Amino acid sequence: MLEAFVFATILCGFFGIILKKNLVMKIVSMDVMSAGVVAYYVVVASRDGFLTPILSTVKNGSYADPVPQAVILTAIVIGLSIQALMLVGVMKLSRDNPTLECNEIEKNNTP
Amino acid sequence: MNTITIAWIAFPFFVGFVIYLLPKLDRYLSLGTAIVSAAYAFWLFLQPSPLKLILLDNFGVTLEADQLSGFFILTNALVTLAVIFYCWETGKSAFFYAQAIILHGSLNAAFVCSDFVSLYVALEVSGIAAFLLIAYPRTDRSIWVGLRYLFISNVAMLFYLIGAVLVYQAHHSFAFAGLRGSPPEALALIFLGLLVKGGIFVSGLWLPMTHSESETPVSAFLSGIVVKSGIFPIVRCALVLDEIDPIVRFFGVATALLGVFYAVFEKDSKRMLAFHTVSQLGFVLAAPEVGGFYALTHGLVKSALFLIAGVLPSRNLKELQHTPIDTPIWIALVAASFSISGFPLLSGFGAKVLTMKNLVPWQVIGMNIAALGTAISFAKFIFLPHQKQEEKSNLRPGFWLAMIVLIGGLIGANVVYYKAYSFENIIKPLATIALGWLAYLLIFKHSKIKLPRFGEKFDDLVGFMSLILILLFWMGFAWLGI
Repeated sequence: MLEAFVFATILCGFFGIILKKNLVMKIVSMDVMSAGVVAYYVVVASRDGFLTPILSTVKNGSYADPVPQAVILTAIVIGLSIQALMLVGVMKLSRDNPTLECNEIEKNNTP
Repeated sequence: MNTITIAWIAFPFFVGFVIYLLPKLDRYLSLGTAIVSAAYAFWLFLQPSPLKLILLDNFGVTLEADQLSGFFILTNALVTLAVIFYCWETGKSAFFYAQAIILHGSLNAAFVCSDFVSLYVALEVSGIAAFLLIAYPRTDRSIWVGLRYLFISNVAMLFYLIGAVLVYQAHHSFAFAGLRGSPPEALALIFLGLLVKGGIFVSGLWLPMTHSESETPVSAFLSGIVVKSGIFPIVRCALVLDEIDPIVRFFGVATALLGVFYAVFEKDSKRMLAFHTVSQLGFVLAAPEVGGFYALTHGLVKSALFLIAGVLPSRNLKELQHTPIDTPIWIALVAASFSISGFPLLSGFGAKVLTMKNLVPWQVIGMNIAALGTAISFAKFIFLPHQKQEEKSNLRPGFWLAMIVLIGGLIGANVVYYKAYSFENIIKPLATIALGWLAYLLIFKHSKIKLPRFGEKFDDLVGFMSLILILLFWMGFAWLGI
């Protein structure tokens, strides 16, 4: 069930990238998609249990797998920096293309 | 051993930041880094292969440097060296050199990865650095081209991440070898990411515009080495897992033919070179065992050709036929064109022979057609008019230094496969080239056909991803019998 929702999020983001006309909306859709991917990693990590894997006096329970979480942290940071870079690029483009419609920008900039 | 490798991986990133602190020294520092990488590549060739760096409790996250990595690292070093020489007197800012060196470092890291996570990080860093280099002129067009590149590669890498976690779920390890017991969708998602990054088949249709609209040195960088970061893991996966080999070979042939088909009809010099990059990457994948050597020769030759295309008076091949070019430039252009067509004396010949020897039977016809197409399209350059210019040419010495590095590398790389020089091996490429020239002079020189820009719109590129995903899933499902 949870997995189905996660994949629905990823697909919503992917369709948004194709169907939205506005460049900012495309970038937001990409963000939705990457949120879905992050959620999927969390789902995979919690297959075996939900407890946080830290040293404590609590007797051994079923811990969540720390490895996918560690990996996805890196991916979150990379995703954030790419988003920021893209939005800066869009700001620069918006000076000459105030509507930011993807087709217009493409028409103006394809030789 | 391990210390040297780790120091060499970290060194370019360190230098990249130091360049900001000491902007006066930017060119010298970046030059030094490229030389260090070249030295490391030669050192790697002398070491017993493979050199493995295994962490404690690693979950499959390992680094592995072998002969294949050595070829890619050497390509990276030589291309970077040539680009820096080319930019020497152009007054580029410290920002440009810093990004170039960080790009160089992230590619180096990608070429020693043998697991999906470190590869992901290296590819994303190289994507960001490449975007900053493409957008360096700050014009609207360059920003749009860069944005398109970053967007496409980032979406592809999101798919790749899903694939990586599926591999982890199956084996609790991220190693390349984990593809074996994983579900077919893991293979499909991971390969989609790598095919887009490497510019293979229809996933590579973003490549022509990106590579032709960038500045000359950046184009040389992108075509010479950046796309190889997507190719390298595919080749390595094909070597680790025999089941994947037919899929990789299929994409190799399909890509070689697609790229050459467009290149033969192309009228713009830089776009033709970009389509050729697509086709030559297909040659690398067509025979994974010897892909490293082919990647080396292609990287050298393609960077040289892009740098030369930048100094030609026009980009339009029709106009170039009426404006004679300076003889020394023409000689460099012909040397590079001969190498890529597979003419003896240059290492493009050895690489082509080696690839052709390692094909499986069903690939032979396709790859020979692709080789013929290569000869046809490079005849466009070889038969350009040339004359000795009266006035002193205004070319910078840096350009000639870059040419010496690249073309010298092409001649020197003959050492790798000197056994290629036998009578029957020499006859076949010469016949191919002769046929290609004949076809060019009789048919293609006068052809007025201009192919439409099919599938290069942004939405098409994203849409193609879903189609390729379905194709890959079907292949994984049907061919691998998982």
